[in-house]
Amino acid sequence: MQPTSSMNKEFLKKWQMGLQIFRPSIDNTSVSERKRAIKLSADVAMASLRKGTTCWSRALIQKTASEDNFLVRQMLSGIKEETLINKKLPKVMCHRKIVRRSKKILMRRKSRSAMEEVAAKAKKLVKRKTQGLRNAVPGGEFMSNNVLLIQETLDYIVSLQTQVNVMRSIVDAAAAGIER
Amino acid sequence: MSNRRSRQSSSALRISDDQMIDLVSQLCQLLPEIRERRRSDKVSASKVLQETCNYIRKLHREVDNLSERLSQLLDSVDEDSHEASVIRSLLM
Repeated sequence: MQPTSSMNKEFLKKWQMGLQIFRPSIDNTSVSERKRAIKLSADVAMASLRKGTTCWSRALIQKTASEDNFLVRQMLSGIKEETLINKKLPKVMCHRKIVRRSKKILMRRKSRSAMEEVAAKAKKLVKRKTQGLRNAVPGGEFMSNNVLLIQETLDYIVSLQTQVNVMRSIVDAAAAGIER
Repeated sequence: MSNRRSRQSSSALRISDDQMIDLVSQLCQLLPEIRERRRSDKVSASKVLQETCNYIRKLHREVDNLSERLSQLLDSVDEDSHEASVIRSLLM
């Protein structure tokens, strides 16, 4: 999976639209406010490429909407994803304390061979890394199984690569244009 | 691969199934750190997951830096100048 040129074009178009919405106030704002608008519109543009079909993109739209409801509404107005703004995400969280407690009880009762110990440690490590991934991907905490988590991660990474590539091209071009 | 799997399935713990193996190898293709290694080097699942997290966070930081740079570029430009119209045509 690679970012495609059509993805790049679509991202740029949506991002430009977001910046245009912000445009009227762009001259009266601070550098940090402008940065925030640039970043938020880039995130919404990236998420809306998926047209609500992935968990991460829905979660990202909701998260951005909580930071700047107006901008997100404007960017998504008339599009199906507008309905996502207020939609509640399903809560699929396991009660880690309870699981941990019952595991401790089970472990006390078993005596394990050395090989089982190694395998158990490896599994624990994978679990910890998986949790780290859930924290890095938007909506990760709602992804009920690891297969879904990795599928979403793959798509999220390709989308992030698109976002970074296009933003970098624009910034480099703008910088070059100014220095001339 | 299948030898390892039949050995693993006899032990009490099975960390991955076919789908997971396939997905993890797809992840390897995306991660620049791992893609550049020799094919013969085996990478553990936890390493792949760790590299994935690192890579995602790196991309987040890049987006943040680019947003900052762009904001400063817009700031440094005089509203009526030629440079401003260059930026406007690119972005807006």
